[in-house]
Amino acid sequence: MALDYRKCAEEIYSHLGGKDNIASAAHCATRLRLAIVDNSKIDKKALENVEGVKGLFDSNGQLQLIIGTGTVNKVYDEFLAVSGLTAATKDDVKAAAAAAMPWWKRILKTPGDIFVPILPAIVASGLMMGLVEALGKASPAFASTDWYGFLDTVANTAFAFLPVIVAVSAARVFGGNLFLGAVIGLLMIHTNFLNAWNVGNVDAINSFFGVTDGVIPRWHLVGNLLTVQRVGYQGHVIPVMIAVWLMSKLEKWLHKHVPEMIDLFVTPLTTVLVTAFITLTIVGPIFSQLETWVLAGAKLLITVGFGIGSFIMGAIYPATVVMGLHHMYNVIEAGMIAETGKNIWMPIASAANFAQFGACLAVAIKAKSQRTKAVALPSSLSASLGITEPAIFGINFRFMKPFVCGMIGGAFGAWFGAVSKIGATTYGVTGIPGLLAIDNIPIYCIMLLIASGIAFVLTWFVWKEDPDDIPKAAPADAEADAIEAEAVEADVTDTAGIPVIMRAGTSTVLAPVKGRIIARDMIPDESFAAGILGDGVGIEPEEEFVIAPFDGEISSVAESRHAIGIDSPDGMELLIHVGVDTVSMNGEGFTPLIKEGDKVKAGQKILKFSRETIKAAGHPDVVVVLMTNSDDLDDFTVGE
Amino acid sequence: MKEFQYTITDPVGIHARPAGLLKAEVKKFASSVQVFKGDASCEAAKTLKLMGLGIVKGDTITVRIEGEDEEACAEAIEAFFKANF
Repeated sequence: MALDYRKCAEEIYSHLGGKDNIASAAHCATRLRLAIVDNSKIDKKALENVEGVKGLFDSNGQLQLIIGTGTVNKVYDEFLAVSGLTAATKDDVKAAAAAAMPWWKRILKTPGDIFVPILPAIVASGLMMGLVEALGKASPAFASTDWYGFLDTVANTAFAFLPVIVAVSAARVFGGNLFLGAVIGLLMIHTNFLNAWNVGNVDAINSFFGVTDGVIPRWHLVGNLLTVQRVGYQGHVIPVMIAVWLMSKLEKWLHKHVPEMIDLFVTPLTTVLVTAFITLTIVGPIFSQLETWVLAGAKLLITVGFGIGSFIMGAIYPATVVMGLHHMYNVIEAGMIAETGKNIWMPIASAANFAQFGACLAVAIKAKSQRTKAVALPSSLSASLGITEPAIFGINFRFMKPFVCGMIGGAFGAWFGAVSKIGATTYGVTGIPGLLAIDNIPIYCIMLLIASGIAFVLTWFVWKEDPDDIPKAAPADAEADAIEAEAVEADVTDTAGIPVIMRAGTSTVLAPVKGRIIARDMIPDESFAAGILGDGVGIEPEEEFVIAPFDGEISSVAESRHAIGIDSPDGMELLIHVGVDTVSMNGEGFTPLIKEGDKVKAGQKILKFSRETIKAAGHPDVVVVLMTNSDDLDDFTVGE
Repeated sequence: MKEFQYTITDPVGIHARPAGLLKAEVKKFASSVQVFKGDASCEAAKTLKLMGLGIVKGDTITVRIEGEDEEACAEAIEAFFKANF
């Protein structure tokens, strides 16, 4: 019996909590996708029981109702009529879902969004820096070699210029111009400014500015009201993000309001100048003032008896790292060594850092997502060597719970270190390399174990992986169950070793056929080569079957069976066209193994073809693989 | 809103290459272009969807153009269909 689309739509609508609760609606080939304002107002049980709804799931703030190919568009049309909503694109629904998040969640999510793309740079550097510096401490002879100098320079580049990398990534996240973002990042660590790590170092200040009083000079831009302390933002993250956010807002506003004729010079100039002025005169001083308070607070805290002060400090230490307020801690350490020869700050920092290692390691082991694992493991190793930025920004802070677990572990570790009265003889090292600087190695080891152990166990039990991050298997299975009629054949090849030919953001496209990959402009067909159907590559096939290049849904199979369209859940629309001019073969030599609307898995065979038949018909057999919406995708690239 | 009907004369129908050219043509205009074959329809700029309609020789399709430059767009698209399909 055919489904009554109107009735189905009316019933769905009646369980959604009213029109105001629906931010937007769209549909893909099988699903009705709704962005819901308040999930508690909808009746999921009832929705599942609506005739025509084959399944339901909820992800990213989006409610997805599985209705089926050929039916969903009709239900959707009725749904629009019933609800009075206007049609939205899938992107609108995604944006509405993001906007439905509470503001504080969006703010907390931002540093993660900015940090994830730059992780390759800082994970590599963090690990290398930790190893090189540990080796240098272990063997002073090595530390004076040219190789040490070379390796150390390579290793710390990403950290020395971190604000630049953060600024570029932030510009991308906030939609500003990447190059203007880079300028803001570079400005913040300009060589005309004192390196932020030297703020507490009187000799460095005197020699850098040619002064004798150890006071950092200021630029008086508006009398004494707006001044710029001539200090850089090395190691800062948050002020850079704020500056670039400001820049992006400003830039967009100017683009809208400045006449096009003068836009090219007025907008960038104004953007950079105003952003620089506000950042250096307002944002900078706020952070520098906070840093001074944190320093004073920290000095006071660690004098509190029974290790209570250290307990608190161990807990808040990573938070000060996130805020970039940790630059002056070496002032404390240097002072202690000068006064008593014993640095009791280092065990606190070490416990705090090592706890972040423990939390990150728990994520590395527990995570099912290979992507999360791949980041978490090297990040945790680097944290164990005292370089915590990759672990904190890449994993712990992004997922938040591991970060808090780390704070708790750090607190107990620091408390134990303080009551055991251990101390270091030097400063600048924490974690495993700290073994070389500590005065009581067994106690130090116990302290590290306490800190990381508590953090690890807590994270293990408290942190749950976001189902959206768990790759393919789970959700896809649920979906497959829901659409029994569309069950996929299990003819899946192992995807390991199949080269990636395109990327869009974090999504990849595997080569759908084995063979030599040629550039798009080498495809022996004018319009393919010119990119009229989108960007992509050609493949000279060595085998005679096409596999699905990603998990997705077959959106079209040409009447003449030589071309297949496939959509990914995140919006890629790929065309696989076997041979050139093969449309004229009317299907002869092509055997599709799937039909329109089928769900496919990466590696699954979807089409068989005969190279001989194509050759006999007088056509090139190049398999053309094109992303038909490459213009609309973010970060689309062709190549590995 | 402008609308015209067209019967496909090209022996292979709307296949990949001309669909891509059509998308390029449509993108020159601000108007939205919708292609109807029977009950099924899709945007002309959605190459894969368009191919998925399976439009072959002899099919009569309806093309609907809507937007600020629909006059010029309809003219150009109709000419395009005559030349290519």
